[in-house]
Amino acid sequence: MLKNRVKELRARYGLTQSDLGKQVDVTRQTIAFIEKGEFSPSITLALKLAKALQTNVNELFWLEEEESNEK
Amino acid sequence: MKNDFRMQYPLWMMGFIIALGMFTYGISEPTTKVINTEMEQSIMIEIGSVDGIFAVGSVILYFLMLAGFSYQLMRHNKQNPTQKIPFISFRPPEYLEQDEGMTYITRKASQKVYTFMSWSLPILAIFAMFSPLPRFYTVWGILLVALIQYVIYYLEIRKHFKEETQ
Repeated sequence: MLKNRVKELRARYGLTQSDLGKQVDVTRQTIAFIEKGEFSPSITLALKLAKALQTNVNELFWLEEEESNEK
Repeated sequence: MKNDFRMQYPLWMMGFIIALGMFTYGISEPTTKVINTEMEQSIMIEIGSVDGIFAVGSVILYFLMLAGFSYQLMRHNKQNPTQKIPFISFRPPEYLEQDEGMTYITRKASQKVYTFMSWSLPILAIFAMFSPLPRFYTVWGILLVALIQYVIYYLEIRKHFKEETQ
């Protein structure tokens, strides 16, 4: 499963879901779906999100199995 | 988003289908009398009192709903000039496709509807071929399938937006 830090980084920069959505040209609902892990974004959207949240895609998204392997 | 007309569209369609079902019941067993003489040529259709209430009532209900539907549609088009919905369209206007997240949800809901259709239509066809029941029941069967497809679609879309607001 794809995990992400979108919610954490969005909060860090004081952005609402609508603000972030406007920056990457998607609806607020789509940001909410991504944060919940309900929807895996395309590479294009993942790159846009990473740029908006001033990070890189690897830092923003990772697979859950990677997380358990590292432990 | 919950007040988006495209979200409410399946509910309107369910209402229209129910009105059509009522109308079908109302006109299911009319008495037809054909007079064809040298002096007179006429067809008399007699509908029973209960059937008549359903037939006339459903037509009134249909036009009232059509007025409400048209008003909501025009309001949506006025408020969303970039996402106008045509009054008549081959493409179902309930599709949410503003971005990839919305498209994903629409695809999930459409897949569920497709799954339902893939087995319900053959069953309905068999029922229509072999059932001794009057044709009226087959029409009701078709309307029931149409109604259920909108229920499935609406519940799936609503589920995502319900979760999102929690």
